Amino acid sequence: MRLVLARASLIRHRARTLLAVLGVAVAAAMLLDMVMLATGMRESFRQLLLSRGFDIRLAPKGTLPFDTDATIPNVGAITSVLRSNPDIREISPVLGSSIHIQAAGRDVSGSVLGIDPTVQGDYELLSGADVTQPGVMVANDHLLSLLHAHIGDTANVAIGYDPQTRSYSGQRKLEISGRVRFIYGAAEQASAAVRRETLDAMESDARRDRASLFMIRVRPGADPDRVRDWIETYIPTVSAISIATAIAQVDQRLSYFRQLAVILGAVSLFVGFLLVTTLITVSVNERAGEIAVMRAIGITREHIVQQIVAEGVAISVIGALLGLALGLVTARYLNAILSAFPGLPTAIDFFLFQPQAAWSALGLLTISGIGAGIYPAWRAASLPISETLRREAIA
Amino acid sequence: MLIAFIVALLLFPQTPQSSSRTIAIDESLAAAAKLKVGDRVTLLARPGGEDFAVMTATPAGYSPGVAPAETVIVGAVVRRGADPSEVARGDFLIRMHLDQLQQISGYGDRVDRFAVAAKRSAAVTGLLKQINDVAFGFRGYRSKDIAVETSRTFQVVSRFHRAIGLITIVASSIFLLCIMVLKVEERKRDIAALRLMGISRWSIVKSIIIEAAVVAILGSGLGVALGFLVSLVVNWHYQAVYHTPLEFSIVTPEVIGVSVALSLVLGALAGILASLRLVRTPPLVLLGR
Repeated sequence: MRLVLARASLIRHRARTLLAVLGVAVAAAMLLDMVMLATGMRESFRQLLLSRGFDIRLAPKGTLPFDTDATIPNVGAITSVLRSNPDIREISPVLGSSIHIQAAGRDVSGSVLGIDPTVQGDYELLSGADVTQPGVMVANDHLLSLLHAHIGDTANVAIGYDPQTRSYSGQRKLEISGRVRFIYGAAEQASAAVRRETLDAMESDARRDRASLFMIRVRPGADPDRVRDWIETYIPTVSAISIATAIAQVDQRLSYFRQLAVILGAVSLFVGFLLVTTLITVSVNERAGEIAVMRAIGITREHIVQQIVAEGVAISVIGALLGLALGLVTARYLNAILSAFPGLPTAIDFFLFQPQAAWSALGLLTISGIGAGIYPAWRAASLPISETLRREAIA
Repeated sequence: MLIAFIVALLLFPQTPQSSSRTIAIDESLAAAAKLKVGDRVTLLARPGGEDFAVMTATPAGYSPGVAPAETVIVGAVVRRGADPSEVARGDFLIRMHLDQLQQISGYGDRVDRFAVAAKRSAAVTGLLKQINDVAFGFRGYRSKDIAVETSRTFQVVSRFHRAIGLITIVASSIFLLCIMVLKVEERKRDIAALRLMGISRWSIVKSIIIEAAVVAILGSGLGVALGFLVSLVVNWHYQAVYHTPLEFSIVTPEVIGVSVALSLVLGALAGILASLRLVRTPPLVLLGR
């Protein structure tokens, strides 16, 4: 009965109800997007870090991995120290450098990683062969397209270029053995990978036996935080970064977006609440006589309150369901905009859909719908019956 | 920006040396390392102990072990400039003499870049051509061209803000239309009476448009005042978070103009749409007869 009356009341003013539902839908879309933005970045980054199963990264003291050109000296000695900890299962030292490749009389620059192919966690092989021999390299699609090269071609790769003398240093001929996708790389980044000893041999003596980063897998069941503390105690020249620490660092850098998400989400919720409250209040004012008649024939206050709250909830829920669909579309659009950030790994999504985000948005809007109906419902239930009927009769 | 190199800072008591040179450090480094003017610090180009804080990058060609440590005096604590590209990085910054940095970093007689100020702005194009004609191993660029190249991050943020703004405008339009429909429908008996008295449809529509425009202007005035206050809070908050004098939110006359004009147009449109529905309905129907 209550639901039938609530439905009849909403249908009576179709245009008004439709507008309110649309308004709530836009607010819900914004709310969903902001919930996705607030939680998506962190989750997407966490998934990216965990994608290759490495629990800890070691970077030069005070830096984040590849945030600077700083390197860690004495890779051999550090590896020996790390191997002495039984909780450490695998160690992958990575050396990063810039490269210059001569192609058709022009200089193509990019970045190169020196890795151990048996334990690397930086790329996925798409086609061809991995860097199983010293004289080969694998490259991503962007570098291959810049070089107009294919698997099997040979490239003149140098790690230094002096613009004053226009001469290359550390140059070596490398065969392109495979096509890869770098997991942490940006789409517009021209990148390659070689064996670490190949890159080491191309470096000057002073830069030999160095790494930009160590990636570490811990034994199943071991506590990564304890291993991290152990590393920082025994190797003071590095910063040991666990997944949680890395997420905290990224959180700090991208706190602007999280805070923006919270503020805009709160504003969206408030706008939706205000819209439903206004609509239901006006609707109750218009129906004051009708409500007084219902009360006069014995319908209880609770019945009136429940009917009016049901109207608010109905508008909120229908608007929210529409808004969730709209929110997914706008999230893709907004994500495409933010994905253009220079240097952002392609695997990072700012707006990551998680069922929990949708449930949160729906739950918040339902609560706001109930809240929006309470004030007009209380007003309706408190109407003085005889006075309202007299006023309506005069009108 | 010449000090965008790796510099590790080791703090330990030093024997006073009259020949020590001075450096300037930024506020955040002073706070993090508990340094003040007059303190002595030792600078190294690479980390070597537990108390180090590495700054930025090792320049290509740097030979570790070649550059000796140098003890310097903190001569000044400075506030960093409002550089948006550095705002979220949280790096510490030290300013020192060029030759001092070249020595510490093992960089030799090299620099990353020269900044050149022309005497007259009109002469920049010619000056740039002259430099590039004789340049050997380097190239000159206009500052504004470099700014365009390095501002991609902010272009992305700006596009994101515009997209959010567009969604907000759609939401506001629906909200405004809804309010105007409610306001007009509340007065359907008055409108019916006016129509029965012979007032033309167009006069009623005009009066509702004027009313909607007044509501829109009052609302946008309130919105501008609220926006200004929010802008103050935003700047205060983010300047404190990022330790920067950078202004994150600026309410300009153009922004105010666009906001007021937009709300006026939207308000008028909402008024037209809401009033047309009622004036097309016969007055007796509006009165419920």
